[in-house]
Amino acid sequence: MMARPWRSRPGGPSSRDQSAAGREPGDEGAGRGRGGVPPGGVRAAPSHLVTALAGLREPIVVILLIIGFMSWISGKPLDGLLILLAGVSLAWDAGRRSRQARPAEAGPAKAGPAEASPAEASPAKAGPAEASPAEASPAEAGPAEAGPTDREDAILTAAAAAPPPASVTAADSGPGAPAAPVAAGQAGGPQARASWRRPALLAAWLAAGVLYAVVVGSFSRYSWPATVPVAGLGAAVVAIGWRAPRPARPARARLPAAGLALWGLLFVAACLWELWSLLEQPNLATSSYTHPTISTLTDPMLGTWAGRSVVLAGWLGLGWFLVER
Amino acid sequence: MNSHDVTVLGYLAVLLAGIVLQLLATRTRAPIPSLGKVIAWAMSTRTRRVGILVAWAWVGLHFFAR
Repeated sequence: MMARPWRSRPGGPSSRDQSAAGREPGDEGAGRGRGGVPPGGVRAAPSHLVTALAGLREPIVVILLIIGFMSWISGKPLDGLLILLAGVSLAWDAGRRSRQARPAEAGPAKAGPAEASPAEASPAKAGPAEASPAEASPAEAGPAEAGPTDREDAILTAAAAAPPPASVTAADSGPGAPAAPVAAGQAGGPQARASWRRPALLAAWLAAGVLYAVVVGSFSRYSWPATVPVAGLGAAVVAIGWRAPRPARPARARLPAAGLALWGLLFVAACLWELWSLLEQPNLATSSYTHPTISTLTDPMLGTWAGRSVVLAGWLGLGWFLVER
Repeated sequence: MNSHDVTVLGYLAVLLAGIVLQLLATRTRAPIPSLGKVIAWAMSTRTRRVGILVAWAWVGLHFFAR
């Protein structure tokens, strides 16, 4: 695992600053993106359609569009519409960020000898080690797999993982308080407070989750009282995931491709089996005992209050698990 | 064994394969990442992260919402 010299530097820019810096030419890793665009606005700005189509290179976008389409034709137009909207938005966002990153490739070509390094062109924002997305996430985003959007995320991730500057630590303890005693974690300091805050917060979230599962589970399926809290929570979590940088995590090792492919194969097999069952139904909106889908198999369980509450609790737990990744 | 049983067995086979993969990942030195690591990897870019969260939200909508 490579060292991350920028991580140990106090006073680094915030994630928002890093994000903004990532959009500037030269901060995204020159010459490592896909395709090429003439510099300096030689090409006209792409249309929204072209931008969205560029985002289709992301497999998850294609998966969402397929889910949305299948939901639509299966008699769940609201589900389908929401997923299609999310998929198109995500495609547009990915395509937009991909195209924003491309001018970075032209940076060194435009720059003179004094501006040979994109990082040097903006030394106040990023040192050479900071500006290289490859070093920002060396284990996960290799040149072969990391697109421009990946590189921007690597910068966001790196910014989120960077330790807070000493000035922030001192500010947390109140004005005028010296930084050193606070950092040492004296009784009553931020560390001591954090030691009981986290379990208390966890207990509060757990209680809220149980309450949510019991109350929402008491409503019958496909009713508006069930729809509103489920849709509201889903939208809130997606919005948070869209806006927020990832929490600070230590760098992970590159995953073995063969093992990753095995999990992918299993996922595809599960999807195909479900699709086959769906297509074997009398029609897409009518369930079949002979070829049950997962929805059909879970219908008896979801017909009871307890069953719905258990499934909702599992859904919440899965959401928590994902958000924590 | 009728078609219903075959279909259910198919789901169970997929589930069993997932458990086997997870056990291989966590209990052996096979070059297979655990499901948690795969998900953490998948959540490492914004596009994938949002896409997975949208898929999660869709599960809730699919089973409970109108």
